[in-house]
Amino acid sequence: MDKSQMMERAEILVGAVDDLPTIPIVATKVLQLLDNPDVSVEEVADLMLSDQVMTARVMKLINSPVYKPTQEITSLKRALVYLGLRHVRELALTTSVINAFDGTSGALELNAFWEHSFGVGMVSKIIAQKIGYQDLEKAYISGIIHDLGEVFLSNFLREPFMEVLEYIKVHPVKLVDAEAELLGTTHCEIGLCMARKWNFPDAYCDVIAYHHSPGEANVDPILCAIVNLADLFCTVRELNYGGREWISFNLSDEEAWTILKNESPTFANMDVERFCYELDDAIPDVKELVSSIFSPA
Amino acid sequence: MAINDKDFEQLRDFIYNICGMYFHTTKKYFLESRLTRRMEATGAKTYQDYFLMLKSPRGSEELKFLMDEITTNETYFFRNVPQLAALENKLLPELVEAKNKMGFRKLRIWSAASSSGEEAYTMAMILLEKRSTLLKDWIIEIVGTDINETVITQAKEGIYNAYSVRNIPDAYKRKYIREDNGRFILSPEVKKFVTFNKLNLYEDSKMIFMKSFDFIFCANVLIYFDTASKSKVVQHFYNNLQPYGYFFVGQSESLHGVNDKFKTVHFPGGFGYKK
Repeated sequence: MDKSQMMERAEILVGAVDDLPTIPIVATKVLQLLDNPDVSVEEVADLMLSDQVMTARVMKLINSPVYKPTQEITSLKRALVYLGLRHVRELALTTSVINAFDGTSGALELNAFWEHSFGVGMVSKIIAQKIGYQDLEKAYISGIIHDLGEVFLSNFLREPFMEVLEYIKVHPVKLVDAEAELLGTTHCEIGLCMARKWNFPDAYCDVIAYHHSPGEANVDPILCAIVNLADLFCTVRELNYGGREWISFNLSDEEAWTILKNESPTFANMDVERFCYELDDAIPDVKELVSSIFSPA
Repeated sequence: MAINDKDFEQLRDFIYNICGMYFHTTKKYFLESRLTRRMEATGAKTYQDYFLMLKSPRGSEELKFLMDEITTNETYFFRNVPQLAALENKLLPELVEAKNKMGFRKLRIWSAASSSGEEAYTMAMILLEKRSTLLKDWIIEIVGTDINETVITQAKEGIYNAYSVRNIPDAYKRKYIREDNGRFILSPEVKKFVTFNKLNLYEDSKMIFMKSFDFIFCANVLIYFDTASKSKVVQHFYNNLQPYGYFFVGQSESLHGVNDKFKTVHFPGGFGYKK
């Protein structure tokens, strides 16, 4: 199916939903506030504190194994100082996305969805580090939000999406290919429509749209390749929506592998086997992180 | 003695670098208990002492004892479930399709360290199930080889204990296993697909005759070889593998740095190597 046709179909589907979750006003305000170069930590903290759910999530994220503070950080202001204001924007974005879908129900189990997403975030950050990518948090956040479109499909196209999930149980094909075949569009196009509605920064829109085809990315093909590879690894190492998707891949045939090797020649010598085994070891951390984020405050 | 994270990681890295076998964090307590035995035997007081000895000139001797402790020489049917699932659902159908196009309906499988035969017979059962569908009119040859004649005799007998058969899915068990007083006897239908021979993987003159395999399994053996021998043996496997075929090692093994010709193909829960 043609990419532009899939995009058209996604726009129709997303446009037809009246009760699409919104990103909290506070998040939008935080994003706006952070565009002002003279903003102070106090101002941002005050604004964020007005949204208790967001504050609680930020505190959980900051104390998670991903950010690894040496001591537990207990005040939002300290969290913002620790992170640096540059990263607050991303944190606000992530926590809002999590909030937007919290408590919803669909064809996918949300817990398994976020385990995959945070797993891809973590692995994206590791790969970013290995290739010397300049912004590790951006890679992390990109991983977390890359599959946003799946939640839409799961919630608002529940029945047809269930059929897709049934289909991949018996056919060894990628989820994204099954979506294109059965729904006429994929979570990439759907996610892009949502990200645009929510005014996501361009780099994130790019990741959402091209994390399965990094070579087509417009803004940051390297970032898309990082997330693509992280996604592949997570899918084969138990962070795969609770075992739903079948993927097999030959690294040397993957576009993302070529892109990243060109970016960082030493990356080609990576011990892929060991990387997989270490990923197995990290899975309990990811599951713990997700369950801590979603446990009642 | 409780092993701390630093000592564990140090030993894990050492074992990985020398043997190509990765100890998952979940195996920490297992490693701890086995190390304790070796420390008692060698008189090492701390993990650090033991580690230093492993790295010293007499370390290579001790490493053999350690490997014997940490690789339980056990084998059983349906051992590597993710590998078998990938093979059954994806790799085998792909291979069959490719060979059908060439009109070459023959499948050759090699269990290169077959021990008492469980791995080879597991493959036989899986393929037997596809005799009337995917593998209709196909010639199937499964070869098991081992250096040890005693285990080859056991393999040929095809009689197992409860431990060996515990992982066999019920549907297979009902069809292919008969219980007799605590002994589990394999059906002749499965046995006839497999032949067992003595073979030393080091022996070049014999290895070059193991030709044209579609799937080669060699689990938990290469870890005992030094890097040069490993490279040599793996090169044989590479040469003896068909273009569409796959080579598999054990569940926590790695060929990194041993052979740069193989391509790694990942699937859920594992990977295989392809030409």
